[in-house]
Amino acid sequence: MEDNATPVAPHAGEVPDAALLVGYANGDAKAGRQLVARLVPKLFGYAARALGDHGEAEDVVQETMLRLWKIAPDWRQGEAKVSTWAYRVTINLCTDRLRQRRTRPQVAIDSVAEPAADLASVVEHMTARQRSETLDAALSVLPDRQRQAVVMRHLEGFSNPEIAEIMDIGVEAVESLTARGKRALKKALHGKREELGFEDDR
Amino acid sequence: MTGNSRDDIALETLFAAGRSERPVPSGEFLERLAASADAGAARPAPAPAARPVLRLAWLGRAFAASGLSGAAALGVWIGFVMPETIDALTLEGDDTVALATFLPGTDLEAILNE
Repeated sequence: MEDNATPVAPHAGEVPDAALLVGYANGDAKAGRQLVARLVPKLFGYAARALGDHGEAEDVVQETMLRLWKIAPDWRQGEAKVSTWAYRVTINLCTDRLRQRRTRPQVAIDSVAEPAADLASVVEHMTARQRSETLDAALSVLPDRQRQAVVMRHLEGFSNPEIAEIMDIGVEAVESLTARGKRALKKALHGKREELGFEDDR
Repeated sequence: MTGNSRDDIALETLFAAGRSERPVPSGEFLERLAASADAGAARPAPAPAARPVLRLAWLGRAFAASGLSGAAALGVWIGFVMPETIDALTLEGDDTVALATFLPGTDLEAILNE
């Protein structure tokens, strides 16, 4: 089934991010505020989901924005999208933090038991918040690269070419990562039924 | 319907919930970053770095100036502490002074006798 995620695209008539960044470099504080309003919610959404901690997500996003302000005077329009650059920095910072933690359980997905009950009927009876929390818990056991690709594709709404640019890999590699990530998610969801508090309807 | 497609439906339902329940930054955090942007924009841009050639030219001038003044200072110091050495170097032997000019039509002797 194809997801219905919508790609991130600038609104018509909106000043491009790169133009705002150049304006900021020339002393336009309003342009800087506009960039904060545009980028921070997206970056924070990703970082909070990747790290599972809002405080750490704030640190990562703040560092990303500081780096953006720092390179603003040297930004060359047309070479890269500001949002792509910012996502790349945020993702790398998240990856660094996850590596430092080394506490995230990397479950061997293949060892998880095959489904014994209908997941769809379980999910159907959940509230929206329960579904979101369930998803976050399942995402947390994916390998880093798979989680990054799945979150960007199915939750952040990026297209595969955009993800390829952010992750600095080919489009086919992105497709492979998201496909394997989704398979692993399904297995993880079945394997974590009891841990996640699902009622067993077998 | 196969189990796999039922799983896909379940997963898509979770993704939809994830998109609608997206983590949002606090207003305080957004304002802090906006204030940081204000502060950065208010700071004057750093002056462009001097070109290396110009920096070297400045260095060369500094060396030349310090060499000239150093030599002058050394001469004054030698003349002050060892005047006899200067006499020995300058006044011994033939004290004849020779002048030459290469300007056409200049009578140097007439000028000196004036």
